[in-house]
Amino acid sequence: MVMNIITSILVMSGMVALGFAIGMLFNGIARKVVARIHNRVGPPVYQGYIDVFKLFSKKTNISHGWIFDLAALFSVGGIALTFLFLPVAGVSMLSGEGDLFLILYLIAIPALGFALGAGASGNPNAAVGMMRALMMMLAYELPIAMVIVAMMVYYNTTSLAGIVAMQSNLKWAIGIPPFLIGALVADMALQGMLMEKPFDIPLAPHEIATGPLVEFGGKHLGSIILYKMMGTVVETTLFVDLFLGGGVVLNVNQFGWFAYLVNFIVWFVLILVVFLIAVIINAVFPRFRIEQALKFYWKYDALVALFILFWIFSGVMV
Amino acid sequence: MLVEIFITMLILALVAAALNKYPKISGIVTFFASLIPFLVVISWSQDIGLSFPQFLKFFTLEKSLNYNIGIATFMLKITPLGWFFLLLLASAFPMAILFSITFIKKNAGGFYAAMITSMIGSMGILLAQDILSFYMFWEIMSWSILALVMRSHDKKAIMSYLSFGVLSAMLILLGIMLLYSETGTFVFSEMGFMANNTTLIALSLLVSGFAVKGVLVPMHVWAPYVYSRSEEPFVAFLSGGLSKLGYFAMILFMYSVVGISVLNSWGTFRDVSIFGYTLAFIGALTAFIGTVLAIMQDDLRKLLAYSSIGQLGYIAIGIGIGTPLAMTGALFQALNHTFFKSALFLAAGAVYYRTGKWKISELGGLGYKMPFTFLAVLFAIFALAGIPITSGFAAKWLLYEAAIQKKFLFITPIMLIAGVGAFLYSYKILYGVFLGEPRHNVKEAPLSQLAAMWLLVLPLIIFLIFPGWFVDLTSPILKWYGLMPISHTPYTITTSLAAYNTLAVILALIGGLILAFALYFSKPQKVVPHTDNYLAGEPPELYEHISMHAASKYYEPFDEVFYPFFKRGAEMCWMAILKFVKILGEGARAIYTGIVNDYSIYILIFFLLLVGWWLIW
Amino acid sequence: MVMFDVPPVLLIAFPLFFAFLAPLIYYLSKKSIKFYTLGVLILNAILSYFLFFRVMDEGVVYEQLSGFYPPVGILLAVGYLGSILAMLINTLATINYVSFFDEKSHSLRFSMLYMLVTASSTGIVVTGDLFNMFVFFEITAVGSYGLLASKGTKRSYEGAIKYIVLGSIGSSFILLGIATIYGYLKTLNFYDIAARISTMPIEAKLMAFTFLVIGIGVEAEIFPLNGWVPDAYQGASSRVASFMVLGPSKAGIYAIARLIFTLIPFSDGYELALILGALTLLIGELAALNQKDVKRMLAYSSIGQMGLILIALSLHSQIALIAAVFLIVNHALAKSLLFLGSRNYASGILKNPVIGASIFIGALSIIGMPPFPGFWGKWYLIVDMAHNGLWFMISVILFAAIVEAVYYARFLFRGTGNEKVTLLPGEKIAIISLAVLLVIIALFPFLLYNPASNAATSFLGGGP
Repeated sequence: MVMNIITSILVMSGMVALGFAIGMLFNGIARKVVARIHNRVGPPVYQGYIDVFKLFSKKTNISHGWIFDLAALFSVGGIALTFLFLPVAGVSMLSGEGDLFLILYLIAIPALGFALGAGASGNPNAAVGMMRALMMMLAYELPIAMVIVAMMVYYNTTSLAGIVAMQSNLKWAIGIPPFLIGALVADMALQGMLMEKPFDIPLAPHEIATGPLVEFGGKHLGSIILYKMMGTVVETTLFVDLFLGGGVVLNVNQFGWFAYLVNFIVWFVLILVVFLIAVIINAVFPRFRIEQALKFYWKYDALVALFILFWIFSGVMV
Repeated sequence: MLVEIFITMLILALVAAALNKYPKISGIVTFFASLIPFLVVISWSQDIGLSFPQFLKFFTLEKSLNYNIGIATFMLKITPLGWFFLLLLASAFPMAILFSITFIKKNAGGFYAAMITSMIGSMGILLAQDILSFYMFWEIMSWSILALVMRSHDKKAIMSYLSFGVLSAMLILLGIMLLYSETGTFVFSEMGFMANNTTLIALSLLVSGFAVKGVLVPMHVWAPYVYSRSEEPFVAFLSGGLSKLGYFAMILFMYSVVGISVLNSWGTFRDVSIFGYTLAFIGALTAFIGTVLAIMQDDLRKLLAYSSIGQLGYIAIGIGIGTPLAMTGALFQALNHTFFKSALFLAAGAVYYRTGKWKISELGGLGYKMPFTFLAVLFAIFALAGIPITSGFAAKWLLYEAAIQKKFLFITPIMLIAGVGAFLYSYKILYGVFLGEPRHNVKEAPLSQLAAMWLLVLPLIIFLIFPGWFVDLTSPILKWYGLMPISHTPYTITTSLAAYNTLAVILALIGGLILAFALYFSKPQKVVPHTDNYLAGEPPELYEHISMHAASKYYEPFDEVFYPFFKRGAEMCWMAILKFVKILGEGARAIYTGIVNDYSIYILIFFLLLVGWWLIW
Repeated sequence: MVMFDVPPVLLIAFPLFFAFLAPLIYYLSKKSIKFYTLGVLILNAILSYFLFFRVMDEGVVYEQLSGFYPPVGILLAVGYLGSILAMLINTLATINYVSFFDEKSHSLRFSMLYMLVTASSTGIVVTGDLFNMFVFFEITAVGSYGLLASKGTKRSYEGAIKYIVLGSIGSSFILLGIATIYGYLKTLNFYDIAARISTMPIEAKLMAFTFLVIGIGVEAEIFPLNGWVPDAYQGASSRVASFMVLGPSKAGIYAIARLIFTLIPFSDGYELALILGALTLLIGELAALNQKDVKRMLAYSSIGQMGLILIALSLHSQIALIAAVFLIVNHALAKSLLFLGSRNYASGILKNPVIGASIFIGALSIIGMPPFPGFWGKWYLIVDMAHNGLWFMISVILFAAIVEAVYYARFLFRGTGNEKVTLLPGEKIAIISLAVLLVIIALFPFLLYNPASNAATSFLGGGP
């Protein structure tokens, strides 16, 4: 019993560490890819690690009071928490203890913590950036909620682990026609979730000086950047779990540790691909204004999602 | 004993009114009066099948009472449903009174007397077993609210409350009269129903009447005015407590009086009655509309009012779906809403008490000045937005599960998006009032106000960790309706679709926070004032005239997108109806010309008409 | 309970006698006239209680006057409703008189007229003779002209003159009706008429009914005969309007009840009353909706209430009649309360806790909110209609109630203004006493229910 608990705590800590590591790597990859597209050399791939390390080892750390400090705590703690509730490459750490709705709300914990800190900094730019971030959230949440509800009804479960399990033996959701369209809709939403162009108006470095991040520095900025990096992993994993079977290709019961290895590699490749698509779109697009983003998601993306809902609806009725 | 309790409260109301000159003493008297319902409800817990310890039985109360007033008999009886809602009201009520002790200064006697009367009315409604006592207590509750609304001295508030209050009363009256003529009895338990159109009409009338109290679209028009212009402790109780009575009555009439089998006989859609489905859809619409309008508000009270409308919509969804899961979710949401919305309105009152301002754009930076108020608001907002740090999430989760279980493809996304919208206006409150540039040099709220807020927030935290306890509270209700209580342990809830383990969430959160702490404490920090960074070292005095608080028109792009759709709302429709009636009124007024010749001619015409009638006859 | 058996005639004779004695008192001491009048009214009210209890004990009380036996002589017949109304009118007239107490120049004429109208209104509700009723109607009307004009402004004269014109038309119609009946039946006693009405030719019966309905309808404020009501009430002082509501108009509605129940009962009469009631209700309430002048608004609202009472009467069933009694009592109490409060209305009147609460209670009772008597009236009325399946009528009543609520909301709102309240102490006392009466009936509705139930039984049996 005690051994079990210790083992699972160790496994979870390891997974969180892995998540952070992958997040930092992705940051470096993204910067490299964008640089290559822009015909620059770009920083090395391990630049993410250097940044985080540097920020956490700064001597002077400016704070604006205890509410400001909450941001650092809740953003890192919350994103780690969210990651634990996702099935990663078929390994469900805590995902049996909660479901997709819980995950959608858990993602809000770090975001809210971050928002508290940004607000507490008192900088108008941060407030404006936060407003845009929240509106962006409202915007992309509609299409993705519709697609997720359609999937839940189709698979008759709300558990993400359940949905992944249903897609085992390579019966990925993306192979089902409505969910192929659904994946496209969700990928659009993912673009907003990751705050990549054309939906990076909340940060808009040239306009509002990276918005919510503007007052953060030192270890506070380090925490926030860690949250952002881990966020990319969480969000791409969510996408992969929903549409690409969570990266599970081999049955664990059949192949043992080898299956874990293969699954993890497949999962890594899949989230990298999903992430690279987002990065490449980001590299070539200008940005939407926030009301344009809202209209885009609620008019076009949601319309397609509504079409999927009707598709599933007709299937359910039959 | 029950009669004595009613009479004691009435006498205490008179005492409180008589102590008009001494607001604080009056308030303390009322606070003791307000504890009576709570002790009563706890004393009843064993009677409805809950295993509360024996020492919590403060009164020995009869379970039912037939009280004859000479021309009619009031039949009162405690039922599991009534008990649950009485628990909600009796918990929120003392807190509102506790808050008012320092808050209400003018004409306090009248305020307290009306508050107690409204509670007496609510107790009567929750215990009523026949039409007459139900309607009677409903109206007593309703007009005590009117007395409190009139204290606002605001035309819109008084007019809209009284008009809608009477509209609701008349719809209810018509509905219960139809039920009476259909069954020939006043007593709920003796009503046996046929599934015919009369009952359907009656039930629709009743539910639309109750929707006025439950502020469902399109009956919500009065709420923003009343909520935003009356005194905060009263609004806290109105929104947190009394609005639940509408939903209590809906459950009572839909599932207790008329019964699920009759509902289902009017047609079902995926095993949910069409009637319930319509209610659920209206609820979802209410949740969405309330949320969008809340995002647009600048007045703190109006924002809270619309958010209240939005959150109450969820309860209607649960009642409409009517499965065990949905009912538990609806009741849970009712409980959460009682506590968090009361706490939020009280906090708004505390902010006003210290700063004298309601506009979000004029406030700001109070988080460091009023840290305990801020934390109470933060927890209340976690509950409101459904962040899984309070019990708010469990309620919403149950409702989502219930909707997915019944494969409601269109209601669920609306609920989800309304939930996300709640983040937007929550952040508006947090940022606009408590964060950002500190502009007010004020003290923390008085102790009694803080105590009231924190006592309201506490249950939200308890029920986060042990949602199973809540399910235990509601299981007598479900059993009473012949439904199976949902499967649970103290900290897990399991449905056919998924499971939710609060302990795992809490432990993982603690783990995550420990990790964050470890990173965070790696280096020391120093705290600098807000002005230091973005003024780039310039003296702040130079920039005093520039507001660095970006809270006015906070969601301007959002307003621009949505305003065209919400420009012509329900209020316009009601105003159009009123205008039509006013034209009729002008017509009627034109009859009385003020010229005596005309009047004489009327008499003559009337005479001729009568003679004509007799001739034809 | 009964200390001595009050002869009904005392109730009329007593104030009449003292009204004519008043000049003597005035001659002796100008100041004491108001105490004198108040004393007379109080004594009369006490007499009316004794009469009420006597009727409750013994049933209908008859008394022959002037030694002749009916049908030749004049008969007083006090039924349950009559005794309730006699008590109501006398009590409220006393309370209302208190509101005049602070007037500096207290004229002799006013006091006399006041006593006269009280006496004759009481006379209408206790009489058992048609011609006698007509005479009392005349006295009431003439007295009311004077009272309405007593404010002495242009508007009050105008209103009074309109009432004179319409009132005289009404009187002549009553006279025509009486003549028709007497011409055929050679009697004016209610019982005689009721017993032999079937022997009358149908045309004559209808004509008599028509004449009487029109004549009494003018007093009872029934549409379309009530043109004088808004102008007269608006012109008169608020206290006189209050008195008009509690006295003469209640006597008028009693006369209507006698007409359609005892005198000439037939199904078309009920139907007509129902239609007239609904029209009066709707037009009264709708007209009040846009009315800015408080007194005129209350006058329209009065018309609406009269329509409601007429509807209740027209249903001629036990429960509906109980409802009618509740509505009559409620209207007398609450509307005269509101009229008293209407002077200087756009002030902070509702900020005064006691007066404010009283006016609040009055408005709630008129709208029909529980537990006040207005609620019981509407409740029983609607229960009875639901029994009979009159859903359209119920909708009309409920619609009217909503309209009522809207304009009373405005009324209540205007009471939260900022001007100083200038109500006289007497007015305050009267308002509070009326509110206390409303609360008493609200708390102990059976006090009114049991007599009302008796009255309903008696009326349905053709009695007074």
